[in-house]
Amino acid sequence: MRGFGELEAVIMHRVWDHAGPVTVRELFDELAAERTIAYTTVMSTMDNLHRKGWLDRVRDGKAYRYTATASREEYSARLMREALSDGGDAEAVLSHFVAQIGSGESEALRTVLGKLRGRRSG
Amino acid sequence: MRAALEVFCYALAVAWVLPLVLVRLSEQGISPRLGLAAWLAAMFSAVASATAALALLARVAIGGWPAFARAVCESVTANACPPALYRSAAYELGLAAVAFLGGILLLFLAWRYGRSLRRASIRTRAHAEAARITGRRVNGPAFVLDAAQPAVYCVPGRPPTIVLTTGALAVLDPEQLSAVLAHERAHLAGRHHLLLAVTRSLAAAVPVIPLFARGTSAVAKLAEMRADDIAARRGGRHPLMAALLAMSRAAPVTSGSAAFAQATPAAWLAATGGIVAVRVHRLADPPPRARRICTSLTLAALVLAITAASVLIPALALTGL
Repeated sequence: MRGFGELEAVIMHRVWDHAGPVTVRELFDELAAERTIAYTTVMSTMDNLHRKGWLDRVRDGKAYRYTATASREEYSARLMREALSDGGDAEAVLSHFVAQIGSGESEALRTVLGKLRGRRSG
Repeated sequence: MRAALEVFCYALAVAWVLPLVLVRLSEQGISPRLGLAAWLAAMFSAVASATAALALLARVAIGGWPAFARAVCESVTANACPPALYRSAAYELGLAAVAFLGGILLLFLAWRYGRSLRRASIRTRAHAEAARITGRRVNGPAFVLDAAQPAVYCVPGRPPTIVLTTGALAVLDPEQLSAVLAHERAHLAGRHHLLLAVTRSLAAAVPVIPLFARGTSAVAKLAEMRADDIAARRGGRHPLMAALLAMSRAAPVTSGSAAFAQATPAAWLAATGGIVAVRVHRLADPPPRARRICTSLTLAALVLAITAASVLIPALALTGL
């Protein structure tokens, strides 16, 4: 395991894979079958995820039942929207391999390709 | 007073004239590294000399107060400036108020600069964290998001993150994918985000200065070309070119710029707006060796000259030579 962030990801993916709400105990049992992990680590990680807004929880007797605040697909869509929007000065510093291109750009690209093809054959 | 004006004139020349030269020298991406160095040296020089000019002005104003007040008064009223006027308390208070407002304006610009840097860094960190939780880890720092839209980008920070979509995986073969990952890793290893963050915030803080506005887009393009060069050195030019073409073919074409494209010749677009076209062109058909050497030498000389000037001019002016 490589740090705290990785465990958060593992736990979120488990929660998403569950159809309904899930308790710390249930997730701990699943994870403990695969790796050495302390119950309190799972509990504090889920508490963190709740605090950061990734998980909702309702009290059920002595324990909490956790659900994801949004599906994996919703989070992916949200990230894509953020990554592809042309924000102002508040935008995150992301470097796209190929940014969204305008029709002017694709026109320029076609011109360059045409020129290259002409040179190779000529 | 005179020295301050001279240093200020140098700052203006760097901010308004130098961009014209730098755009010509760097737009085709001959030696992106020297191009980046030249743009950054010019920006540093402009900021340093403008600061030095202000420091000089402040020193003159404080050191020779009545003479300075008189000089300002005479420059406004064309020598019709009796001592009764420039020695009056009202006039002195007026000048002090102008200086005070100028100081406030500078502080405001500095604050806005800091705020835009801070905001970008917060947004970036949050984005990376969300991508690392939502995505599936595939290859080192690379995470895959479920999205039909093809996209590949890197998010700097600790730890650095590369994000790919399933849509991008669908259009890239394994060789192309490793070229793309090498390109993104080059951005992260070269800390290009710092260059982008600094130049973007300068442009955001003082948008009217051409050096900052043009420099910001030039630095972004040169960083892409630099990452292309590193990726091409590792895996060859052809997979990278193929990846560029595959990704831009798959990228959605926005319709907003259609009218703009019709009004402008494609060649001009290729030189200014069409970064993908320029990248493909220089990978496929690099300029002749003689021109590369010539441009590189000019850029190197320019970097040296700008760096020397930005240290020497303020230093000479401040020591009173």
